[in-house]
Amino acid sequence: MESADIRATGRLTAPEIDEVDLVPVRTYWQLVRIRFLRHRLAVIALVTLAILIVMSIIVPVISGETWKKSSLALIDAGPSLAAPLGYNDIGQNLFVRLMKATQTTLIIGFAAVFIIGLLGILVGSIAGYVGGWVDNLLMRLVDVILSLPFLFLILLIVAFFGFRDIRVIIIALGIVGWTTAARLVRAEFLTLRETDYAQAARALGVGHRRLILRHLLPGALAPLVVAAALGVADSVITESALSVLGFGIAPPDVSLGQMLGNFRESLYSNPERIFYPGILLVTIVLCASFLGDGLRDALDPRQKVEG
Amino acid sequence: MITYIIRRLIQSIPIMLGISFLIFMIVQLAPGDPIDRFRNPNIRPEQLDQLMRLYGLDKPLFEQYFSWLSAFFQFPWNDRAWGYSLITNQPVRDSIFERVPATVLLMGSSLVVTMIVSIPIGIIAAVKQYSWADKIISGFATIGYAMPSFLLGIYVLFFGGVWLGQLTGGAVSFPLFGRQSIGSEGDVLDIAWHLVLPVTSLAIQSIAGYSRYLRASMLDVLRQDYVRTAKAKGLPASRVIGKHALRNAMIPFITLVGLSLPSLVAGAVITESIFSYPGLGSLTINAISQNDYPVIYATGMLTGFFVILGNLVADILYGVVDPRIKY
Repeated sequence: MESADIRATGRLTAPEIDEVDLVPVRTYWQLVRIRFLRHRLAVIALVTLAILIVMSIIVPVISGETWKKSSLALIDAGPSLAAPLGYNDIGQNLFVRLMKATQTTLIIGFAAVFIIGLLGILVGSIAGYVGGWVDNLLMRLVDVILSLPFLFLILLIVAFFGFRDIRVIIIALGIVGWTTAARLVRAEFLTLRETDYAQAARALGVGHRRLILRHLLPGALAPLVVAAALGVADSVITESALSVLGFGIAPPDVSLGQMLGNFRESLYSNPERIFYPGILLVTIVLCASFLGDGLRDALDPRQKVEG
Repeated sequence: MITYIIRRLIQSIPIMLGISFLIFMIVQLAPGDPIDRFRNPNIRPEQLDQLMRLYGLDKPLFEQYFSWLSAFFQFPWNDRAWGYSLITNQPVRDSIFERVPATVLLMGSSLVVTMIVSIPIGIIAAVKQYSWADKIISGFATIGYAMPSFLLGIYVLFFGGVWLGQLTGGAVSFPLFGRQSIGSEGDVLDIAWHLVLPVTSLAIQSIAGYSRYLRASMLDVLRQDYVRTAKAKGLPASRVIGKHALRNAMIPFITLVGLSLPSLVAGAVITESIFSYPGLGSLTINAISQNDYPVIYATGMLTGFFVILGNLVADILYGVVDPRIKY
């Protein structure tokens, strides 16, 4: 095969060296961008998510308090210019409410992932870096938490607080969700700890904190970013499940899950109302997981970019 | 093998203790109090103290924990072992055992349906890779997998319970929220009729996951040398696929079934609650919302126990179906 190529082009080793020189040197992040843009689904997901985020910020800001205003005269009123999806059973503007709910759901998703990431990095890096009995103890704690169903623990914690506003839900999701992230960081640290560059840094007298923050953590970043994208999807799903069970965000606040949780009221007369929040929810979940897939391929330095 | 099982069981003891301690502490530290519902202007403080003593709430936390833990394992002969529900005053053991058959029936039948559907689907998708059938199956699997269980439940409930009834003018409609019965309540046909929708919504999701899984492991096996050898020596395709390929492809599949054991017993909380199904899941939800400590402890412990048992069973099944694995 190779000799055939050489014969066809009539060139031997020297031009190959030229070709190598012609290939532009790209930094890691340039390669990441190129690889990501090649992942069509991930790009579509990113754009859709961006549109949703912008809409969910702009609509509630413009319309002010409309999302919680109800009016007797407008109960079950049909669509109009101000309310493209009509009004619900207590006369609230359905479209504006949906956007406000999307906003809440997205805030919960991202904030919960932030807490999960922080806790996961903290516990995972301590366990992976220190090792020994500390590692053993922390990992058994992870085992214990993973032995109980996710939802059961979250329900307990939400019930524990006794009231259900957005902060409680975020904290509950964070407290229960960090285990997988911690395992991930720990596994990366265990291998990175023994690499030559970590050894070299240690030999140069780099302190523990600097070694962890500057040398080990960046190495564990790629799998963490992927896990974070998928974590947003998981958190959004869990929040909605809580709402459907009646343990989600309490009114007057509104989330997509809460709108779904009222499904019994509109089952017979206005079934389209159980589909609006559902469609938005599935869109967010799918976007987040496609984004995760795209990032996984993009951040993997072993993936080659041709041309 | 026996020593392996024993070793695993011993290893799981600290985890069980951890679970019990975790649940106990979360519930204990919660601001809600089981005697809150007795507090009103007419009750005297002495009476409240008496109630505290009656429920053992006046003792130190650790004493409560150990007395609860040691009593917990006496359940086979002692109906007070798991305490009394603070709401219904029934022994917790009995109210849990009362719900177990319903949940096992629901989860068991959805597991059977899942197996019956997902195994042939997975095989077809793998054997005819990239055909239109494979694309349809993969598309369905992706959607079913991405769909959260509560959404699936609500939509199955809507299409099966409401839309179908409106479409057929009430001729075909599945019962919702346990309302209608056909025949007399409690006979086999009636129970089956009530099971259709919750089982469908549970099965769709697990079929999506299982068939994807089986397709992947089947594709892996079909590329192996021994499958090519079996084909080369002229065995009929059914025998190659059914015997040489499927048996090996089923190995990781078995683990999946073992890992689903805890949910078989603990029940699908969400699906049960959406369909108002009287299983363990809805019992747990009610207990949590009413601060019914003894019930919360018992369901939490049971679930944790079955998670550990499920992992163990999965590992043992590995050894049984795959003779290459020795413990």
